[in-house]
Amino acid sequence: MKKQFEIYILIFITVIFFITFYYSLEANNKNNPNVMLYKTLPTIELTSFNNANLKQVLPIINEDKHYLINIWSSWCVPCRDEHQTLMKLKDKIKIYGINYKDKKSNAVSFLNELGNPFYFTGIDRDGSLAIEIGAYGIPETYVTNSKGLIVFKHVGPLNEKTYLKINEIIK
Amino acid sequence: MISNIGAILLIVSFVTTCFSLFLYIKNNIICKSAVYTKFFLFYKSSFYLILFSFFLLSISFATSDFSIISVYENSHTDKPLFYKISATWGNHEGSMLLFVLVISLYGILFFQNSKNINESLRACTIFFQSIIQLIFLSFLIFTSNPFDKIVPIPNQGLGLNPILQDPLLAIHPPFLYLGYVGFSLVFSLMLSAMILNQYNSSWASIAKKWVVLPWSFLSFGIGLGSFWAYYELGWGGYWFWDPVENASLMPWIASTALIHSIVVMEKMKKLFSWTAILTILTFVLSLFGTFLVRSGVLNSVHAFANDPERGVYILFIISIITMSSLVIYILKFPKKSESNDSFVLFSRDFSILLNNYFLIFILTVVIVGTIYPILLSVFTGETISVGPQYYNTILAPFIFIFLILMATGPLMKWNNNSLILMKQRIFLFFVVSIFFTFLISFYLNKYNFIFLLGVLCSVYLIVSVIYEVATYKKNFFVKQNFSRLFSHLGFGLLILAITLNHFFSREITAKMHLGESFFQQGIKINFLKSESNEENNYDELFGSYEVIKDNKTFILKPSIRKYKQPKQFTSETSIKNDGLSDVYIAMDYAGDPSTGIGVRFYYNYSVRLIWISFALITIGGIVSFVRRRNEKTI
Amino acid sequence: MKKILFITLLALCVHTQFAQASAERELRIYKNIRCLVCQGQSLNDSNSDFAIDLKKVIKKKIINNQADREIYKYLTERYGDWVLLNPPLKKNTILLWVIPGIFVILGLVVIARRTHLSFKNKDKLRGL
Repeated sequence: MKKQFEIYILIFITVIFFITFYYSLEANNKNNPNVMLYKTLPTIELTSFNNANLKQVLPIINEDKHYLINIWSSWCVPCRDEHQTLMKLKDKIKIYGINYKDKKSNAVSFLNELGNPFYFTGIDRDGSLAIEIGAYGIPETYVTNSKGLIVFKHVGPLNEKTYLKINEIIK
Repeated sequence: MISNIGAILLIVSFVTTCFSLFLYIKNNIICKSAVYTKFFLFYKSSFYLILFSFFLLSISFATSDFSIISVYENSHTDKPLFYKISATWGNHEGSMLLFVLVISLYGILFFQNSKNINESLRACTIFFQSIIQLIFLSFLIFTSNPFDKIVPIPNQGLGLNPILQDPLLAIHPPFLYLGYVGFSLVFSLMLSAMILNQYNSSWASIAKKWVVLPWSFLSFGIGLGSFWAYYELGWGGYWFWDPVENASLMPWIASTALIHSIVVMEKMKKLFSWTAILTILTFVLSLFGTFLVRSGVLNSVHAFANDPERGVYILFIISIITMSSLVIYILKFPKKSESNDSFVLFSRDFSILLNNYFLIFILTVVIVGTIYPILLSVFTGETISVGPQYYNTILAPFIFIFLILMATGPLMKWNNNSLILMKQRIFLFFVVSIFFTFLISFYLNKYNFIFLLGVLCSVYLIVSVIYEVATYKKNFFVKQNFSRLFSHLGFGLLILAITLNHFFSREITAKMHLGESFFQQGIKINFLKSESNEENNYDELFGSYEVIKDNKTFILKPSIRKYKQPKQFTSETSIKNDGLSDVYIAMDYAGDPSTGIGVRFYYNYSVRLIWISFALITIGGIVSFVRRRNEKTI
Repeated sequence: MKKILFITLLALCVHTQFAQASAERELRIYKNIRCLVCQGQSLNDSNSDFAIDLKKVIKKKIINNQADREIYKYLTERYGDWVLLNPPLKKNTILLWVIPGIFVILGLVVIARRTHLSFKNKDKLRGL
């Protein structure tokens, strides 16, 4: 009897072990991008791409709609892939771009070639602004609501799935 | 063509193994004859088939046969021949073939070295080993076949990661496999003994070498990996408590406990249960380590083959093997065994029991630290990191106590309260150790409490070993255990070296232009000149640095390599020794060179003593094979 | 004149001490932060662009005399606890310490229950 009981416990534990580690295969073993969700975007001041005297502070509190922040640069290959998606979003939501550690001439060519979805483009020459808002791998995209809270954050290029998700959020 | 033969060989081996299993079962259930000749013959053939298949795969790599996917993905015609061959096991599929080969190899080794053991135990062990072989052969053939083809045949391969083009790293996996995969045999041996009701102290005598052999390989493999990380990765460290390192350490700790436990089982007929559980635990941890490394759950410098699908299969295999072996244990553990579990305090066997307790505690900490982040992310979605400080903080106090136990335990008598006998010696060791500890701390001018404790305990162990060697008498010659002395001495020196290294190493980072000097912490570094060099598969830039410390001058020439295929940079270190310590420099390849070249300087105090310790520990294992014929005890 | 020399020398010594302590502190922090784009390395052990940028940001904070705690808070607010190589002591990490603790006790209990301990010698056999 005791032996039977032990065997049942053993089977039970083995099954738990299997299920737990099975889920671990899908689970995220890297950074958790959700840590900033529903927190206020840290304040940064962007200097305009085109005009050094023009500045923009983010987050914008008296904005009554959502807006999107995208960190990109001309030398980043996945940024090219997602640019189309940004162009699609251009008319649905205001997009603030942060040009990350880039040469102005290259960035300008990039936008001339692929289109400019940005309502305002700021410069992050040394990467410190990106770090200030908690980015670490470009391209990176944030969607902020009217209260300045981050409601969406995505590391890596935007794709169909994320495009649909953003559409959902800004409805 | 070769790939087809290779793949066919594997399938034939699979069939042969199946057939041999069938023969065994037929023999036992239907015919009930104890003649196993055909069974052994089929098993041997399956081994040769796998061996030949492995040989063919190596040839494919050596000749750059890009029709095979693994060759295409992991090699390149420009690779030096030695690395072309080592690329055979430098990828998931090839290494799994090596894995299966080692399982089979241990089966054959056992077969050749068990002629004086009763036939039924022999056959049953090979039976279980064949089952394990079959399981992994299936995994290999159906999910990770190294002979899978690619069409159309590419002209050139994707190249091998330059970091893997290193002699030590090339031979590291085979040693690790001969280590932890080798524990499959004692596992099979134990299951067969339980089924045949032969699980007793004579079994322990037979089994011991089948634990010590893989243990020695594993010790060497881990030491090799540590040494490689030290001189190749360029960060001056030798152990990072990285999850993949831990994956190999876990079976090592379990098997160390197993060796001690088996000795008690053989000599004193105790700890039958412990030994069985440890045997299963060791093998299961080996498999679990394989799972962790290959499935993509870990985030680490070493992790390879991130393939969750294969992870599921391995997980399933582990679950089946663990469950079946534990069921056999529960049902077939001898009821009326000769085992008794009464221990006398302050006896040698009790000491070993305590030793196991400590080892398993250390094992628990390593397991917890390694899988906690995984479990946390499964249950809460949060991710955390567990770095070296966690392990160092928890383990240090226990290891200090452990050292004292290692020193006093072997001097106690079996089954006898040896306290009174030992009192004088314990006191003597203590006095001598304190003397040397203060000598060392005075000379080095360090009075930190943890430092003193670490030195005291490791010196205590070293003193006890020296005492034993010094007092051995000729007529007790056969009772000496040189293997224990080597390994324990090695361990004592290891902790001493680690303690010294921790407190006296120095690290300096700077950016220097050609001709510049840098002075910090009493060490002067001059960037003398730079030279370039071109090799077959890379361009190299050397920097000549002059290091002046304590009136000693060293010239070091680290370099930066720019590999051509794939395009990658590596930093090669330059190391010179200063006694047992190392003067060590590596250059940085990132950053803007107009602001100077980044350089990392390390003074690694007594790091060579660490390598010596690893070697001594391993030698202890090897020695036990040499002395086997003469020895009577332990 | 001598006074000025003395004060300058003193200031230099103090500065070097501070510089060294500050350099040690910097090193300690870099060793405790994970390089987010690398596989399992600390900021100190990484050459990647991102690591260099992050080190610059941290260095600025150290020069501005921010405490370790504040710097870590800044980083974990943005990157989560994962960025710290030493797990913080929180509700969800308490088990890291509790489980080994449980083992210590459980192990002793198991040994006590499954073995019979005695002080007396069990048999006449002299083994060594």
